[in-house]
Amino acid sequence: MNGTIPMDPSRETLLDLKLDHLARELAAHSTPPALEAALVARFRAQAPVRRPAFWWIPPLALAAAVMLVSWIVRAPAPPSPAGAPAVSAAVSDPDGPFLALRPLEKIALDGTTVVETQFPRALLAGWGLPVAPERAAEPVHAQMLYSAEGEPLAVRIVQ
Amino acid sequence: MAMPPEDPLPELALLDRMKRGDEAAFVALYRRHSDAVYRLAMLYSGSSAAAADVTQETFLQFIARPGQYDPARGSIAAWLCGVARNLARHPDGAREEATDPADLADDIVPYAAQVDGDTPLEHLLRDETAERVRRAVAALPPHYRDVVILCELSELSYAEAAQVCGIDIGTVRSRLSRARAHLAQRLALFRPSGAEEALS
Repeated sequence: MNGTIPMDPSRETLLDLKLDHLARELAAHSTPPALEAALVARFRAQAPVRRPAFWWIPPLALAAAVMLVSWIVRAPAPPSPAGAPAVSAAVSDPDGPFLALRPLEKIALDGTTVVETQFPRALLAGWGLPVAPERAAEPVHAQMLYSAEGEPLAVRIVQ
Repeated sequence: MAMPPEDPLPELALLDRMKRGDEAAFVALYRRHSDAVYRLAMLYSGSSAAAADVTQETFLQFIARPGQYDPARGSIAAWLCGVARNLARHPDGAREEATDPADLADDIVPYAAQVDGDTPLEHLLRDETAERVRRAVAALPPHYRDVVILCELSELSYAEAAQVCGIDIGTVRSRLSRARAHLAQRLALFRPSGAEEALS
């Protein structure tokens, strides 16, 4: 069954002509145009939801924002301007910390001045600090932090 | 008439995009193959309306299950033609599947009635010569008709026709040879205009 049947060359040629004729006639027939629209609509309905081409931008922007905030929080504070005393700097001073006499918010907001002074130790009791009775009359060297209006904000005992 | 297979890579790229929902890729594949599928369906069904239905159904299947196409087994064109062929043959598919090709080798009589009767097969083509040849092809036994339609009129390669029919290439060649002998015999009394000059 797998053999071929030899044909007269002229019959082969004539058959080829006829088949070519049919092929040319068929080539004039095309798919109805409405079919494409129907199939495209079906494709749209069935196609998987596509991510937009730039879907990666929002997560990347979020990651960048998190990194930026993290860097800002961890970065060292800029140095204070010369001559402007800062409570935080005073706190880390080797002479000892300033003790707040007013709310911290007020200390941070006001323009402040540090003044070297000396006063009786008994005055510390008025600010709620412990004072030994036998030393109440002794003078105490201290630095006072004053607001622009002259209000005492904090005190630091200088040893 | 059979054409060598084209480079499948661009088509596979389109198919990959189509699977990811790229509408333009689907449209490109549709426009590339729809006419061939439609004409093949015309030859199998003998009706332009039925051919449109077969074409639509073929591409719906392509949309719904593009993964059914296996690039290792052949071209997209061959796969689509195979789907269209099965859909177009469906009404009498059982009878054709049950027929032994050996028994059909010299038997074209049962199919003549199907072609020459009052069926949709009549007057599909306006050109007299083309219509006569089409009817002669339609009158061939199914296994011979397959290879003529696929290799001679749909420009599939022998390998692609073998893929569509599920047979080896040697069988395609032998069936085509016998099919051409049948056709030549059936068309012997009819010569299209210009044939005499071509043969002289």
